[in-house]
Amino acid sequence: MSGLSISLRRLSPSAKAALSVFARYATILGLGAMIVVFSILSPEAFPTFNNFINVLNQASLAMIIAGGLTLAVVVGELDLSIGYAASLHGVLVTGLIVHDKLPVALAFAIVLALGALVGIVNGVIVTKLRVNSVIATLGVGTIIVGLAFAYSAGVPIVAGVPEEFLQLALGRWLFGIPNPIIVMALVMAALWVLVERTAVGQEIQAVGGNPIAARLAGIGVDRIKILGFIISGVCAALTGTLLASRLGSGTTSAADSYLLTAFAAVFLGSATLRDGEFHVLGTFIGTLIIVFGFNGLNIFGAPTFSQYVFQGAILIVAVALSSLGRMLAES
Amino acid sequence: MNDLARRAETPQSPPFVSVRSISKSYGGAQALRSASLSVFRGQVHGLVGANGAGKSTLIRILAGLTQPDGGDILVEGKRVVADSPHVANKLGMSFIHQELAFVPGMTVLENIMLGIPKKTRFGVVDWGAIAKDVAPIAARVGVRAPLDANARGLSTAENWLVNIARALVLKARLIVMDEPTAALSAVEAERLLSIIRDLRRSGVAVLYVSHRLDEILELCEGVTVFRDGRSVAELAGPDLTRPAMVEAIVGAAVETPVIRTNPRSLSERALSVRDLARAPRVKGVSFDLRKGEVLGLGGLVGAGRTELARLLFGVDRPQEGSMTLEGKPYAPRSPSDAVRSGVGLVPEERRVEGLILSKSLAFNVSLANLQSIILHQALPFISGSRRKALAERAIRSLAIKVPSAETSVGRLSGGNQQKVVIARWLASRPKVLILDEPTRGVDVGARAEIHRLIRHLAADGMAVLVISSEPEELPDMCDRALVMREGRIVGELAGEELTRQRLIAASYASAVERTEA
Repeated sequence: MSGLSISLRRLSPSAKAALSVFARYATILGLGAMIVVFSILSPEAFPTFNNFINVLNQASLAMIIAGGLTLAVVVGELDLSIGYAASLHGVLVTGLIVHDKLPVALAFAIVLALGALVGIVNGVIVTKLRVNSVIATLGVGTIIVGLAFAYSAGVPIVAGVPEEFLQLALGRWLFGIPNPIIVMALVMAALWVLVERTAVGQEIQAVGGNPIAARLAGIGVDRIKILGFIISGVCAALTGTLLASRLGSGTTSAADSYLLTAFAAVFLGSATLRDGEFHVLGTFIGTLIIVFGFNGLNIFGAPTFSQYVFQGAILIVAVALSSLGRMLAES
Repeated sequence: MNDLARRAETPQSPPFVSVRSISKSYGGAQALRSASLSVFRGQVHGLVGANGAGKSTLIRILAGLTQPDGGDILVEGKRVVADSPHVANKLGMSFIHQELAFVPGMTVLENIMLGIPKKTRFGVVDWGAIAKDVAPIAARVGVRAPLDANARGLSTAENWLVNIARALVLKARLIVMDEPTAALSAVEAERLLSIIRDLRRSGVAVLYVSHRLDEILELCEGVTVFRDGRSVAELAGPDLTRPAMVEAIVGAAVETPVIRTNPRSLSERALSVRDLARAPRVKGVSFDLRKGEVLGLGGLVGAGRTELARLLFGVDRPQEGSMTLEGKPYAPRSPSDAVRSGVGLVPEERRVEGLILSKSLAFNVSLANLQSIILHQALPFISGSRRKALAERAIRSLAIKVPSAETSVGRLSGGNQQKVVIARWLASRPKVLILDEPTRGVDVGARAEIHRLIRHLAADGMAVLVISSEPEELPDMCDRALVMREGRIVGELAGEELTRQRLIAASYASAVERTEA
């Protein structure tokens, strides 16, 4: 029993209720405050329509991978392979198009299927071989790094990337909105509906809440966990593909840093609106906080080191808020 | 016994612990309104009441696990604030909860000493010296397992003894016991009771929480009855009788259960089990379960009944034997397989195996009924109105006490939680429903309701198998009962033969035969 949770219990019910409301809305307030402060400090550069579209566009890739990760954590597992997998898929999709001259759509489909395959591998290792998901996905992720190097020999694929592929991330096919934003909106909406409004979603939440009870209620727990990993894997592949298209190259380790961003977003999200429970809408807000934070730091020309400090600090704050929420719910 | 002498002596000294007008609410639910009770040194004080009456909340408050909204706690006449388990221990209070806490990988001795400062030699824990100190205490409370044995192998009964030993090592002056005999066989329970009497003689105060009124009568000098968060009666001396307790607990008369149907008239088999075996607990079991029948499965704890249920529900797979469900071969590979075939299970440990505590009542009830609350087979989206209707039907038909369908089930009392687990299967209407200890830790009123409900399900054509360790339970609600012992079915009782005495006799008679053989 930690000291904090004991002092929480000493609080009066009204103070506890107030703290619980604060914990639930703290992240949203933080996001609002950040936007207000940046707008005041930089009225020309920050609060413009173009900058907001730009931020959303940047946020899209992180959002998609974090949305996928949300499904893995909702079923009670962690997926550390997503960053490496996204990098591999970026290299792979570029290679399939540039070297193997495959049509963009086919290469895209192959990579998404491979993303699902990575998810299946993760899921089977975790559920059938009973390997802790941290270890399993760390192992699979490391193997993936090796595969990416084997495929590209560590040399970025830059030359001969067709315009058609670049347009995937750079195009504005609908109402002049950048494509990644559209894709992100569709993915997040689909994930939200899946978790919150479908029968499978109920099973997903049940497995995350109490796998033993879920199993005895007749739910195929292993099947649901594997599904969580598959969705996480497919979203990682989607992010990897869009990143390669945006960069115009397939580069090993290009997407590695998304791992940390995604985890910070997911944990910030779990402290949003609910008491430490992972959910898709929370992840959406969590990602916005992180990306707006980065954008602000960029606009003010903050040195590179501060971005690492920001990212590390926000990860810790996110997890702390998330457990604070759970403690409040239990006390 | 010198009970009278002890009663005469107590009023001179203040009670060891005294609780005055404690109140506590969780969210909107008022768990305690105004509860008071006192426990004297060298006395066993009973605390009884229906589920949701506030007993568990009071224990949590004494243990420092939750804080009261109002009222006082006095220890030896002085007002105290027990705001953590550590403080409660320091005040001389020890708690043994219904769901026993122990670390399976550690030895008995290490479990007894968990979290207690230990003797050291040159900075290293001196287990030899500790064992020397603990051994007489362990022997006194009847721990038979060697101190260096792994705690994993301990039975529930021995675990209780280990926990009592721990309380004594902590020099507890008050031991609070929550449903100590709920999971024990009659022999084990009797042994535990004699150890409690022994504790009393040495001046320890015991607060004894139980639904078993016979034990309370046998053991306690005084009894406090809780109802709806209030202490409604203090009974002692000649006033302490079974009818007085029941009247105070229920506040109204309890209905008697339904008349038994004649099993001979039910011919259609729902589930047939032949020579089912899985080492080490199930050693060849055969029986038929008919449609519309409530079949009891009695026997001592550890006879293999829960393990048998796990085979029937596909949690484990049998090594030998076969089953048929409505005439078709039935070999479930997983619980989801079993559910699809039309078999449901209400598991023994509702908090661990039955419920998703952080989720709402509606969520928990709908889990086995997802197909019935989606918009359409091709559109697997949850219909909010159907989900709500399902939950409200459950609340109404089982009389679940809950502020709303969206209240998380972790906040409900044990009896209400059990009703939620049962409600899950009411809506999905399985062909066969297995209930493992459906009324464990459930009060008299709710128990009668659950019995009536089970009878009702059978009357509608469901085949019901009920596992129970309480001898009164099976004759109350079953058409027929099987008695299991050491992995085998050793007796069958039906009609007028099905009585409490015969059930107990059947489980022990065969035990005698076996030991003689």
